[in-house]
Amino acid sequence: MAAEPSAGTLADSLPELAAPAVPARRRLRLPVVSLGIIAVFVLAALSAPLLALSDPYEQALRLRFQPPVWLDGGSWAHPLGTDRLGRDLLSRLVHGARVSLSAGVLTVLLASFVGAAIGLVAGYYRGRVDAVLMRVTDATMSFPVILLALILAVTVGPSYTNVVLAIAVILWARYARVIRGQVLTLMELDFIAQSRIAGAGAWRIITRHLFPNTLNTLVVLVTLQVGYVIIVEASLSFLGAGIPPPAPAWGSMIAESRDFITSAWWASLFPGLAILLVVLAFNLLGDWLRDTLDPKLRQL
Amino acid sequence: MRLSVRITLALLVFGLLATPAQAQKTPGELTIALSSFSTEVLDPVVGGHIVKYYLSMMFDYLVGVTPDGQLSRDGGLATKWEPSADHKRWTFTLRKGVKFHTGEEVTSEDVKFSLQRAMGKRSTTGYAGPLRTLVQDIETPASDRVVIVTKDSTLIIPTYLSRVLSTEGMILPRKYIESVGDDVFARKPVGSGPYKFVEHVTGSHIKLEAMPSHWRLGTPKYKTMLFRLIPEETTRIALLRRGEVDIADVSRERVAELDKEGFPVHYRREEAILHMWWAFGPDGWVAPMKDKRVREALNVAIDRNAIAQSIFAGKADPAAIPMGLSWSFKDIGFKMTPDMMYAYDPARAKKLLADAGHAGGFAMDVYAFQLPGLPEGKAFAEAVAGYWQQVGVKTKLIPVDYPAFRKLWVDRKVPGSMGYYNIANRDWIGTYALLEKQAYGPSKLNDTVNDPEIDAMISQVTKQTDREKINALMRNIFQRLRSEHYGVPVVYLHSAYATSKTLGKWNPGTVMYDLFVDSLASSK
Amino acid sequence: MIRFLLTRVLQSLIALAILSVVVFILARFTGDPLHLILPMSATAEDYDNARRYLGLDRPYLEQYLSFVGRALVGDFGTSIRARKPVNELLRDRLPNSLKLATFAMAVTVLVAFPLGILAAVHKDTAVDRTAQVIAVLGQSLPTFWVAIVLVEVVGGRLQWLPAAGMDSLASYVLPGFTLGWFVVAGLMRLLRSSMLEVLDSEYVKLARVKGVSERWVIWQHALKNALIPVVTFAGIYFSILVTTAIVVETVFAWPGMGRLAYEAITSRDFPVIQAVVLTTAAIVAVVNLAVDCLYAVIDPRIRYGS
Repeated sequence: MAAEPSAGTLADSLPELAAPAVPARRRLRLPVVSLGIIAVFVLAALSAPLLALSDPYEQALRLRFQPPVWLDGGSWAHPLGTDRLGRDLLSRLVHGARVSLSAGVLTVLLASFVGAAIGLVAGYYRGRVDAVLMRVTDATMSFPVILLALILAVTVGPSYTNVVLAIAVILWARYARVIRGQVLTLMELDFIAQSRIAGAGAWRIITRHLFPNTLNTLVVLVTLQVGYVIIVEASLSFLGAGIPPPAPAWGSMIAESRDFITSAWWASLFPGLAILLVVLAFNLLGDWLRDTLDPKLRQL
Repeated sequence: MRLSVRITLALLVFGLLATPAQAQKTPGELTIALSSFSTEVLDPVVGGHIVKYYLSMMFDYLVGVTPDGQLSRDGGLATKWEPSADHKRWTFTLRKGVKFHTGEEVTSEDVKFSLQRAMGKRSTTGYAGPLRTLVQDIETPASDRVVIVTKDSTLIIPTYLSRVLSTEGMILPRKYIESVGDDVFARKPVGSGPYKFVEHVTGSHIKLEAMPSHWRLGTPKYKTMLFRLIPEETTRIALLRRGEVDIADVSRERVAELDKEGFPVHYRREEAILHMWWAFGPDGWVAPMKDKRVREALNVAIDRNAIAQSIFAGKADPAAIPMGLSWSFKDIGFKMTPDMMYAYDPARAKKLLADAGHAGGFAMDVYAFQLPGLPEGKAFAEAVAGYWQQVGVKTKLIPVDYPAFRKLWVDRKVPGSMGYYNIANRDWIGTYALLEKQAYGPSKLNDTVNDPEIDAMISQVTKQTDREKINALMRNIFQRLRSEHYGVPVVYLHSAYATSKTLGKWNPGTVMYDLFVDSLASSK
Repeated sequence: MIRFLLTRVLQSLIALAILSVVVFILARFTGDPLHLILPMSATAEDYDNARRYLGLDRPYLEQYLSFVGRALVGDFGTSIRARKPVNELLRDRLPNSLKLATFAMAVTVLVAFPLGILAAVHKDTAVDRTAQVIAVLGQSLPTFWVAIVLVEVVGGRLQWLPAAGMDSLASYVLPGFTLGWFVVAGLMRLLRSSMLEVLDSEYVKLARVKGVSERWVIWQHALKNALIPVVTFAGIYFSILVTTAIVVETVFAWPGMGRLAYEAITSRDFPVIQAVVLTTAAIVAVVNLAVDCLYAVIDPRIRYGS
């Protein structure tokens, strides 16, 4: 029988981690499409300033909502058309990769770092430390992310930093719970006990023995959550709490042009497709990672 | 297994589609979809002005008004009003036989009660303050006569208590409120208007039902009126297409597509002036805005026509007078001449800036927020900031919402930064009240002008009863506001209201925060 | 079992207490609600009057204690913007959110189940991959975009379904679908993996060897056992749906808690902000608790093979 974690609640594990039992033979078929999509966007993000694109911030009111080049009224000056203020859509899409991708990745890395740290500490020390940390985690998890971001937005104003912080401040709790659950199980294992007897201190055990064994879970979680964060940012833009204009964040590009979904469809479709492809790619990649790295994750 | 799932799915879908015709409108019901209900409070003294849209159906005003903003003896409870020779006693004669929804007759006691309540401590109406300072006493010599005694000679009393401005003139039932209390009244309001309150679901709708017959309308043509709160524009338009609403406020940019489909669109022309101003520091003007040349430069750097045509889809006209509420111009005899308009001249702007010693530009924060009736708010702020960038001003957009900006502005924490508002257009009395609050030094909180000459002119108006003198003073005030560039007036906004194809003739009028939907129900 | 319940309830209460302090501070941090209810022309004296009238001039500690004291007996105070008891607002709006969440849950289940079962039964085939992509699609599109497209196309142009309001069952479809589609992926993955695990188990292998029909194996055994963890997760999803519906509620003009929270935050309506956050946290806590109890009760049976 698999080791039952005394790790409290089912809410510890995340549905994302549910995985099939993997047959003995492993298929190392890489998820080419997902990786390919991500690579393209990352490349775009990194090389944006170097490419020969129009200025993504330059507005030209008389050219607003110009259609893409293949439609009547389009021109090669703006191959994908222009947005509400006449800014070049292609350029904003490419520069937007920097903004949206970096926001997603940064948020998740921040949340996972903090969450993992807390989970490790809670799981290792148990007792009162664990109890206190877990109560704080519970409280954090039950605070809706969007409301916190909204509150921050009306208080100090929306900004890139605030969006990252607002989401990370709630997101870490999920990581903390999962990692803690894993740590509790790991602690039951012999080699931990042996290390202790050998005189290893907390720091050593946590960093040398516990953390590496949670790395797989972290990698899977991080990958799966990048997409989620990008979507949340888009929702925040809709409510006026996202990365503010004139930054070319994909989410706010869609939000700005949402009244023109049928009339100037290009202004929202292209950033929407960008989000769709990127998030889809990260999700599928995360699924694949989970299947390959740690299929027994569900047990934890 | 999969079969049973499929069958269940099919049954569900069938069941849903078989539901009798998706909630088509109730016949005899006028449905109005609005993007905002503002405070949604049903008690006139704590609601603010935007609630007038629906409150003016439930309550009668002391003084009525025509759709184009002229005081009228036909539209209000007062059939006539006249001042004493010294303009310190205003006598109102009330209509007889008007009843509240509870059946009691409206008397002068109710008028006195309502007015005192509007001026009371709890009141947050727009003009409660001025009324408090002005009104000395209210006498009720007869059941159909009210005399308002003021401390100073004044012309403004009838207008302040009319439908033209805010809600202070709404007449409330004294007996009912005294017996059930303010809280119950706010939840089950009772007035004497043509429609009585039925239900209010916060965040969703307000439903009203017609009284069988009313002195204002005769027999109302619509048995019920439903105001629906639909924040998202696409949804309002979808409801219009589905025939579920009769009137919807729509953004200027989407009017074109509705026009094409044959939905009538009514405009309230120049419903608001989109006016930008600088926040003061603790001691008033800060550099570089202190310099008149800089203020002029920022004005001529903007292409108002481009903004009007693109962001406001042509449903706006360039403005030139700071705080120039154009519905008052006719009243005071102010004529806009072509030379008053600001030309789009970035070269001149750069020169002016250089002359003022800012050839290299300077930093300026521009606040960017939406407002009710201004969904284009952020795009507008971005556009204007963009124009200023082009002449060398280093603008930074601050996207907090209006309440946050207001606090910073009023607390004088962000000197030199720029905010804006779509100030609702109004008649000369309302305009004067606004100038007194926005351009008059002594009312420190909201002053955006801080000019002793203008202060002097405004304080003279307060005590005047001679219309000619008042008109002349106000003309001079506007002229000076313009010549000193005390603000950046950008455009006059025309607001669009799309209606169903079967609605018929409708004049939404030119009265602040009122659509005169009761005129649609009138059989007179 | 009782001990377990008691400890968990106590833990939830402590979490709620922490949350109450946090939300109290955050709500007041948002600014001054008076700027919204007083007109542009209000004087400093008007502000003082209003502040006194609304009890906002008392020291913070007193305000907090009064808030907690009344909250414990279920009174969340009076809304500053609406001048109504907050409880009334909650009473109006909470059932709407619950109804929508229930419908959305039904949609999720209806979509996730066929997908999950198909994917598990046809593991590693094209069917499996397609089902996974369809499921993940729901998580890869911004909710408001899906909502607006549906309103415009299905509601406004094709006019197949209502675009706003709560009048009929048909009004639930578009918002319910938008809300539910977002969590389809998670539920589908879970179902797929649970089923795979059971399908791989000794018991099923034995049944297959014995010659029991594949259909019976899938329907009778695998699905039933796979359902248990899925049902427990459904509880968690339900609370997610209740708490994240703000976008859907805005687009479809659905008068629920999400929209109430948004209105409260934008008008700095402290009592309502506090009440909404605590109520949704309490719902999440209750649902989690119920789910954990269910799991604790049912799980040992599975582990020992049914």
